[in-house]
Amino acid sequence: MADYDAIVVGAGLSGSTAAYCMAKAGLSVLVIERGEAVGSKNVTGGRLYSHSLEKIFPGFADSAPVERKIVKERISMMTAESCFTVEFASDRLKNPASASYSVMRANFDPWLAAKAEEAGCDVVCPAVADDLLRDGDKIIGIRAGEDELTSDVVLLADGVNSLLGQKAGMKEELSPHQVAVGCKEIVELPKGAINERFGLNDGEGVAHLFAGTPSNALVGGGFLYTNKDTVSIGLVMTVGGLTTSSLRLPDLMEAFRESAPVKPLLAGGTVVEYAAHLVPEGGLRMIPTLSRDNVLLLGDAAGFCLNLAYTVRGMDYAIASGQLAAETVIEAREKNDFSNAVLSGYVSRLEKSYVLKDMKTHKHAPAFIEHTKRLYKAYPELAANVLADIFTVSGPSRLIIRKTLPKIFKAGPFGLLMDGLKGSRAL
Amino acid sequence: MKKIAVCYKWVLSDTDIRVNEKSRELDLEKSKPQVSEYDRNTLAAGVALKAQAGASAVVGVTCGTVTEGSSKDALSRGPDAVYYLDDAVMASADSSTTSKVLAAMIKNIGDVDVILCSEASSDEFAQQTGPRLAALLGYPSVSGVAAISVAGDSLTLDRKMADGTEVVSVKPPVVISTVPEVKDAPIPSVKDILGAKKKPANALTLAGIGLSADAVKPLFTINSVLAPESKRKVVRLNPEGTSIDDAAKALIKQLSTDGIL
Ligand SMILES: Cc1cc2nc3c(=O)[nH]c(=O)nc-3n(C[C@H](O)[C@H](O)[C@H](O)COP(=O)(O)OP(=O)(O)OC[C@H]3O[C@@H](n4cnc5c(N)ncnc54)[C@H](O)[C@@H]3O)c2cc1C
Repeated sequence: MADYDAIVVGAGLSGSTAAYCMAKAGLSVLVIERGEAVGSKNVTGGRLYSHSLEKIFPGFADSAPVERKIVKERISMMTAESCFTVEFASDRLKNPASASYSVMRANFDPWLAAKAEEAGCDVVCPAVADDLLRDGDKIIGIRAGEDELTSDVVLLADGVNSLLGQKAGMKEELSPHQVAVGCKEIVELPKGAINERFGLNDGEGVAHLFAGTPSNALVGGGFLYTNKDTVSIGLVMTVGGLTTSSLRLPDLMEAFRESAPVKPLLAGGTVVEYAAHLVPEGGLRMIPTLSRDNVLLLGDAAGFCLNLAYTVRGMDYAIASGQLAAETVIEAREKNDFSNAVLSGYVSRLEKSYVLKDMKTHKHAPAFIEHTKRLYKAYPELAANVLADIFTVSGPSRLIIRKTLPKIFKAGPFGLLMDGLKGSRAL
Repeated sequence: MKKIAVCYKWVLSDTDIRVNEKSRELDLEKSKPQVSEYDRNTLAAGVALKAQAGASAVVGVTCGTVTEGSSKDALSRGPDAVYYLDDAVMASADSSTTSKVLAAMIKNIGDVDVILCSEASSDEFAQQTGPRLAALLGYPSVSGVAAISVAGDSLTLDRKMADGTEVVSVKPPVVISTVPEVKDAPIPSVKDILGAKKKPANALTLAGIGLSADAVKPLFTINSVLAPESKRKVVRLNPEGTSIDDAAKALIKQLSTDGIL
């Protein structure tokens, strides 16, 4: 008999969710996490859409270590000298069914892993799953250092660069156009200063995305999320963008932090943490084999992440895929059949859920984002030029349309129209 | 041989301690407790000695605050059981009180005839606990031990000296203070960690070992802990608008003024 019903590799959001749901149903579960502490290796910009976790832990935000509820959205288009920002604040952002929260993984992941442990899972951290254990062709567990641990099913929730997914023959090695690179700094500021500077009440937060100069006018963008008493700022760039950039990622990060729109927001703050991480970005095309006999792929390891130029979304998909994987394994346990005949039910569950539906809806997004270079340079410049004309007065006035039309023609009206059309089908 | 007791301390990890640059005070908020680095080696030595001497058991012993959280970590390092005393009054403990409590715990555990301590803990580094414990128990104290081997009913101990090694022979009961060379501490494996959950972690209380809160009052108080004064000059060579060339020139000038170039 195997040591466990299921072994989960990785105590990120997908792994811990799956582990919790399986243990709740009475399965014996081992979770292996290689970080020094759970969550210590994990990077996110910061926004968790709560709907996914709400299904598993109704009202979780009252007790989980979330930072702030996002009640204000800002998008800025930046050029070297200008910044055009739209802000949206609404009570509709507070609706529990669609609310989102800023989170810090170093706090949030341990909370979720503790839930799994309370439900009866063995969580071992730090420990690395080095390889899959096989009996002939059959995968029967994992190897961690000198230890061999066996299970009926192995859930690979080991993140974007899933080495075990490759060893299981379910994924290819990552290629540069399949991933973006994200980096992030955490800047400490007193809670009161954050409330004042961003116009927030206690517990409320802002999500602020930036296009244009932060990514050196290349494919990518900047983000800023307010936490309780820190602010997360960072950049996401495609590897393609980075290789053509005249500036390196750390320099861009520094320039972003020191830029006119951002600097006063963080004045007096101390950078207390720096992190960099890969983001899956191939979209639907990058989705690997999701199930085979005795193995399932979850979360980032399965490529369930959407990079929509200025924003990345992966945490709610990770959680949902964890839940669906658990449902599938529970069924396999009941039928005592861990072959792909039952485990492929995971794929049908994903297809019926928003996880794969979203990947399909946005299947053109990666190409659109990669190829529509105007998003990062021409449009921020256009916005800056038009608005500069509207708001700068140095003599006789002209009709706004007279001022703006030439700018739009300069930007290429046909391209703008095409991008609008393509974008509406991709994003 | 009867039982081997290894004393270990649950200390704050020093990697996450931050220093407030202005006040030089330590910010401990981010640092998590862990088994003191030296004690990991001592635990490994205790486990090895049990095997070599055929002792009946090796147990971990600790006292302090939030020590309950230490048991899983300590047990994954090989002892058969741990005994911990977790009491808020221990927050101000010094070596005299710690050794008093450890001595009472060890008597309470009973049948212990070899006690291992690290030469010092990674936080206080007072180098007193082992010798004080020996005095309180009335056992011989051997310090600076870098190797332990069994010879009949005696132990042969290599003491590391500044310019050589002294080899001593001692019959238990004995308190041995070890230096890190005594044994490498392997990183606990998954099975070690899983096995730890099945081993007993026993909570002892001050009352249970016959000590009053008064008995653990420290004999001195710590007035302040400050980081060494930082000698950084904090000169910014590229204020707004300075070109890289000018900044580089300014840097060269600064470095030669400071006599570094
Ligand atoms: C800069 C940046 C910004 C982002 N912003 C957002 C955002 O705002 N909103 C959002 O929803 N998503 C965002 N994402 C994406 C999101 O963070 C990921 O989609 C999410 O973390 C995926 O969760 P996961 O559990 O699948 O994987 P991970 O969180 O990566 O967890 C994988 C775990 O597996 C462990 N592991 C790996 N290999 C092994 C092994 N061999 N043995 C043991 N353990 C192992 C790792 O240590 C890790 O803990 C962002 C990502 C980045 C990088």
